[in-house]
Amino acid sequence: MHILDRSILGIHEALVKKEITPLALTKEAILRAKADPWNSFEMVTETLALEQASALTIPEKENVFWGIPYVIKDNFSTKGLETTAGSNILKGYLPLYDATVYEKLIQAKAILIGKTTLDELAMGGTGMTGHRGWQYNPYDPTKQRQIGGSSSGSAAAVASGMVPFSLGSDTGDSVRKPASYAGLVGFKPTWGRISRHGLFPFAPSLDHVGYFTRSVMDAAALTTLLSGHDDKDATSSHRPIPTFQSNQSIKGKRIAILKEVIDSTKNPTILKAFQTSIDALKKAGAIVDTIHFSKDLLEAIYPTYMTISCAEATSNNANLDGLKFGPGYQGKTYQDVMMQARTQGFSELIKRRFIIGSFVLMRENQQDLFLRAQRVRHMIVDALTKIYETYDGIYLPAAPNIAPKFTDSSDRLSSQYLIADSHLALGNFAGLPSLTIPIGFEHTMPFGANIMGRAFDEATTLAIGKVIEDAMGFHNLSTKTRTNV
Amino acid sequence: MKKIDLALLKDASTRLLFDMTDAQYQVLIQEFDILLKQMALIGKIDGLDKITPMTFPFPVSTSFLRDDGITQTLTQTDATKNAAHVSQGQIKLPKVVG
Repeated sequence: MHILDRSILGIHEALVKKEITPLALTKEAILRAKADPWNSFEMVTETLALEQASALTIPEKENVFWGIPYVIKDNFSTKGLETTAGSNILKGYLPLYDATVYEKLIQAKAILIGKTTLDELAMGGTGMTGHRGWQYNPYDPTKQRQIGGSSSGSAAAVASGMVPFSLGSDTGDSVRKPASYAGLVGFKPTWGRISRHGLFPFAPSLDHVGYFTRSVMDAAALTTLLSGHDDKDATSSHRPIPTFQSNQSIKGKRIAILKEVIDSTKNPTILKAFQTSIDALKKAGAIVDTIHFSKDLLEAIYPTYMTISCAEATSNNANLDGLKFGPGYQGKTYQDVMMQARTQGFSELIKRRFIIGSFVLMRENQQDLFLRAQRVRHMIVDALTKIYETYDGIYLPAAPNIAPKFTDSSDRLSSQYLIADSHLALGNFAGLPSLTIPIGFEHTMPFGANIMGRAFDEATTLAIGKVIEDAMGFHNLSTKTRTNV
Repeated sequence: MKKIDLALLKDASTRLLFDMTDAQYQVLIQEFDILLKQMALIGKIDGLDKITPMTFPFPVSTSFLRDDGITQTLTQTDATKNAAHVSQGQIKLPKVVG
């Protein structure tokens, strides 16, 4: 196994022992990225990466990110590096500043290998809607299955072993659902824990920074690095950053399973593995109860998410006018120029989402649509808050199935949706820390479970995740380390 | 609530400054049909009208004004760097008045 196929902490150990140099590691990551068959990249930042890696000569024992290659979703601002958010309207856009999370990774001397593909403006869940075409699931060499979205390229790059971690963003489940489909650890900490300065806004009341890793402890290390208040993001929290221990006990912790979500999950392989993981939690001393959650509220998640996110997105993306940036469209008037830019620059999905958002915000419709959605969101969050008076976490299968085939799923609104397919958005409604961990395989395709903790209690969320990871045995999973793929 | 029809959707897209094909509008009409039915069902949830709308998951904790500090602002060159049409240091638009 190449050193690049280890976890962040494993690679760090090898770098400190001088078993490999950052330059050699970076060259291997670039080699793999340039041969990428999964359409993971908007851009491979070869020159920048080699320059950064060449400058690293003295290992920093206390800095686990020193010389570690990674990739970042193309909706984070990276000064001087084209950033399109997967949309033609931003073709050629060169940000003038760095996102705070990217700045922190630069300071930690991690090595950026490339910027990854995504659903356009992070507004899809399939990895099919970005301007570079479809992203493929590395666990399916026939390329029939999705990786999920919107952080599709970031998931594919880590799952296929190009890098040990990647940054994504999560507004509904855009890190945690692909993590399930790609056999990865996917984590979004509490809303406000990590600065969103420089993350292109989709729906700011729901948007989170998230990341893919191949171990829970790597996710903990990233949380330590990226957390903290940022004056440039008024919604970022002043709360102190907790420390995470790999051996933190979960004895006496109370975990809730929502019966209605389990009833909506029909896949027997997933249910069996999920039960095995529950047994492991009990063995580790956790108290696990199955409880009820209003089915009406669970069924309200999807339309509520659509209504709120489309409304916020319509407003937030009004600045994409094709005048200040973009390829430069022609027209007789400035309105013509904007009309050309937005007609040619946005895909059909984005236009439909913006019209939905605009419609729900119309004065005549606000009470019955936008404000109703905000009310039911409040009701859902109140119901969750009540659960967290007794429980430390809610534990559920992350998705009802393995990654869907391209022919079986799209981003069109459907009346046929499952509670088990939309419950991860609860973590966005309430801003809770939420962690997906791989728990099994159906044939060659992985699947995961999700633990959602109390607000700002990332430590317990990660500790529970670590117990599940140890019990299920999927450490450092990728198609490079999983030999039967 | 406004009734969904093709004219309304075309007007909305014009206001949003983009155009769509007739086939795309038909998909959108189907999506609205689904969404509005789902939102009507939500409206029947007991006690919903008594709940206040939620804007953010938590109250935003930054409730003070930060100290004044000298910061860098964008130069004119940087501010116009990404625009396709620039003239005399400003973003150039088609003439408004002939």
